[in-house]
Amino acid sequence: MPAESQSGASERFVPPRIDGGATARSLVSRKPLAVVGMVILAVYIVLAAVGPFFVTDPVATDPPNALLAPSLEHPMGTDNFGRDVFARAVHSARLDLTLGILIAMCAMVIGSAVGVVAGYWGGAVDETLMRLTDIVLAFPGFVLALILVAVLGNSTLNVGIAVTAAFVPYFIRLTRAQALSERELEYVDGAKLAGNRSARVAFLHVLPNSLQPSLVTATLVAGWAILTVSGLAFLGVGIKPPTAEWGVMVSEGARDIDAGHWWTSFFPGGMIVLAAMAFHFIGDEFGGREA
Amino acid sequence: MSALLELRGLRKTFGRGHGALPAVRGVDLDVERGETVGVVGESGCGKTTLARMVAGLTPVTDGLISFDGSTLDGSSALRENRRRIQMVFQHPAQSLNRRMTVGAMLAEPLRLLAGVPKSETAGRIEEMLGLVGLDPAFRSRRPRQLSGGQQQRVAIARALMPDPDLVVLDEPTSSLDQSLRGRMISLLRRIQEVRGVSYLFISHDLGTVRRIADRVAVMYLGRIVEIARTRELFEDPRHPYTKALLSVAPTMDLDRVRERIILEGETPSPTDLPTGCSFQDRCPMVFERCRQEAPVLAAVGSYRSAECFAVAPTSDA
Amino acid sequence: MTLLEVAGLTVGVTRSPTSILANVSFSIPAGKIVGLVGESGSGKTMAALTIMGLLPDGIEVRSGRVRMDGRQLMDPANLTLRRRSEDMAMIFQHPQAALNPTMKVGRQIARVFSLQQGSGRSEAMSQSIEMLRRVGIPGATRVAQAHPHQLSGGMCQRVMIAMALACRPRILIADEPTTALDVTIQAQIFDLIRDLVAETGAGVLFITHDLAAVAEMCDSVTVLFGGQVMEEGSRDDIFRRPQHPYTSFLLDSVQQEVDPDVVEAGVDFELVGCRFGHRCRYAWEACGEVPDLFSVGAGHRSACFLHTVGENRVGTS
Repeated sequence: MPAESQSGASERFVPPRIDGGATARSLVSRKPLAVVGMVILAVYIVLAAVGPFFVTDPVATDPPNALLAPSLEHPMGTDNFGRDVFARAVHSARLDLTLGILIAMCAMVIGSAVGVVAGYWGGAVDETLMRLTDIVLAFPGFVLALILVAVLGNSTLNVGIAVTAAFVPYFIRLTRAQALSERELEYVDGAKLAGNRSARVAFLHVLPNSLQPSLVTATLVAGWAILTVSGLAFLGVGIKPPTAEWGVMVSEGARDIDAGHWWTSFFPGGMIVLAAMAFHFIGDEFGGREA
Repeated sequence: MSALLELRGLRKTFGRGHGALPAVRGVDLDVERGETVGVVGESGCGKTTLARMVAGLTPVTDGLISFDGSTLDGSSALRENRRRIQMVFQHPAQSLNRRMTVGAMLAEPLRLLAGVPKSETAGRIEEMLGLVGLDPAFRSRRPRQLSGGQQQRVAIARALMPDPDLVVLDEPTSSLDQSLRGRMISLLRRIQEVRGVSYLFISHDLGTVRRIADRVAVMYLGRIVEIARTRELFEDPRHPYTKALLSVAPTMDLDRVRERIILEGETPSPTDLPTGCSFQDRCPMVFERCRQEAPVLAAVGSYRSAECFAVAPTSDA
Repeated sequence: MTLLEVAGLTVGVTRSPTSILANVSFSIPAGKIVGLVGESGSGKTMAALTIMGLLPDGIEVRSGRVRMDGRQLMDPANLTLRRRSEDMAMIFQHPQAALNPTMKVGRQIARVFSLQQGSGRSEAMSQSIEMLRRVGIPGATRVAQAHPHQLSGGMCQRVMIAMALACRPRILIADEPTTALDVTIQAQIFDLIRDLVAETGAGVLFITHDLAAVAEMCDSVTVLFGGQVMEEGSRDDIFRRPQHPYTSFLLDSVQQEVDPDVVEAGVDFELVGCRFGHRCRYAWEACGEVPDLFSVGAGHRSACFLHTVGENRVGTS
């Protein structure tokens, strides 16, 4: 029977590859921060998924119980309308996480598709696309999103579109750079010889091999997107009160700080920071290194 | 009947103006049906460019490629012949898409080039894996799960999938261990027996070419300087460059007594070639005429030609 | 006179029971070129890295001695290299990794001359350019002004060889030094290494999978498979009178028609007993133990139980 070394793993030894001798060490000792990020994120996802079924209505006001300090009954206290801060924070976890992840995914899909077109075909298409991204990148993402929401009008959907648009150029750049080096590899010629037309080569062969850096960046962008969305809400752009959203809550709660009611803004603010940090840890530790 | 592949005055120049790099400078070459033609030469001699032009991956600057009687020029002609001319590359790991399974890679040319319906691909893939000496279970593996030799077998299988008439092999064994090279050569031979395919075998490794080729062409600076039947070329090289090349190639024959010809000087830059023969500055047999006019490939005996005034019976022949 | 002696070297992956090198011994006499031959995965590069004290993280020496001029180089207590001898230089397989990317190559070599011979700046620079010329680099003056990333792989290889030779080492370790180079350049490099040996009486450890290069260069040969020494002897012993089945297998695969379907890849080996066992056509029950190196002639030893049953000649069939 024609058979090559079908490594009969049980009895024969196949030398491990020596990429940093990483094989034996666990993920915890190699990428501790990523593990911290994943744990935080897991807690958030559980909160966002099932939390809303267990807490009170996030928008129902209860003026007699306004501005109660954190207690067993209200773990994060209540705000000046008597709404439970914990309930609102949990509900907004669902909204913010969904927005952050959706924005990152949309930006990656659009950006990498455009990026592979620019990188694989090059020439005038590439030039034009690159100048356009240059212009977009000249604005800080936050400012750009602000302008876009102003133009498109205030709504949750428009905030999503605006923030996505602000992050798309990053993915175009990354995918283009990767596609530029990928297209020089022999498998691209191999794909052409196998009868693939240009578009198939670009999208079925080059694109999947050019996604690695974008996948890492998408994690970072999910964190940034949450910051941007809640930042916009804080400024009163996009998502409006009384919707439960971390940025809105911080904005509303900011007024109470002078009177010593720190909890109305501290907890949602902390949730934003932790969420952004979790995404950042994961993206940062997996960045640049193929796991 | 004409040869399967005919190259006439084939040229490739990269870039334009002063920095223009003539990689291939007028190559004439025939490959018959079922024949293996080896092309040897050192890095920068244009052999890979030649291979890529034949496979339709690099556009031709000037000259003719005719395949099975029809000229390949426009991209439409090329597309028709895509199925019939395939190529295997130098770096097995790089020439396979690392995100695709072996089965998916082998199915592509079948469906896109040969128009085989999906229901039949599985059987054809299994048959092909058997031909290249791989177990059918390899279908679901990805390139990184394979050894270098196995990867190259998959690359050969992919090239054979659409049932081509000519396979261009660009240094298919040079990234493999020597003990694997022999197996790869035997494999290629067996495939040729079963399929009747022709090979254009590009390599810098003289030993490998000697074992597989029927005829061998030696390239230097973008031109074929000598072409002959393998045995004649290795036993009785005529062109001074071929002689030097063979004299320094290491061999396992401890008894061989030979005079090593170490070439003087450096390979001239292709962007700045001297008038006359391009080998003149390194040639031990150089004389006045070589500095004034360039020799052309001329017949020396039957079935062999050399591009040299010192060996060819006067160039007007 | 033995310059460098490696005895009973066992090297393994940290926290894994398997060893990459198992009880490997060889010695390099002054003025001799010793070949270390094996396929990829045979551990030949690991042996070189151990001697140079350059083992990567996660790889540890388990036992063994490395002696230079009779002095211990390896601390027997913690099995780390005490001090890398300045008398040793190494030519790596991948030159880019060994050159300083931020320094012009001419300066890198010139620094060696300044340090070793106290040459002045401009004198060292001209010595450096001369050395580049000797390793066959075209336009040495221009190349001296280039940074490593501006040069091709083959060019970097020659730069590194120039640097190693500039050290005028007493022991030169060459790990696949010419694998990426053309034969005419390879011939020049081989001559340079031979010159070094003839002029300075240096000893060379020549690591390669290319048997022809071994036949060309080496005085004696050690054959490795899966980290075990299979056979050792003079060049004539190994090429004319191979005693070990693996050596015969290796020679056959280069010289003769081989079955293309035979198990390939040198990366997997037996964990227990003779590591060549699963690929050996003579394997029998005894092979479950690790064979000793049996003396099969003057200075010729082979690790195979066949020699215990009077079956001394394996032959190349």
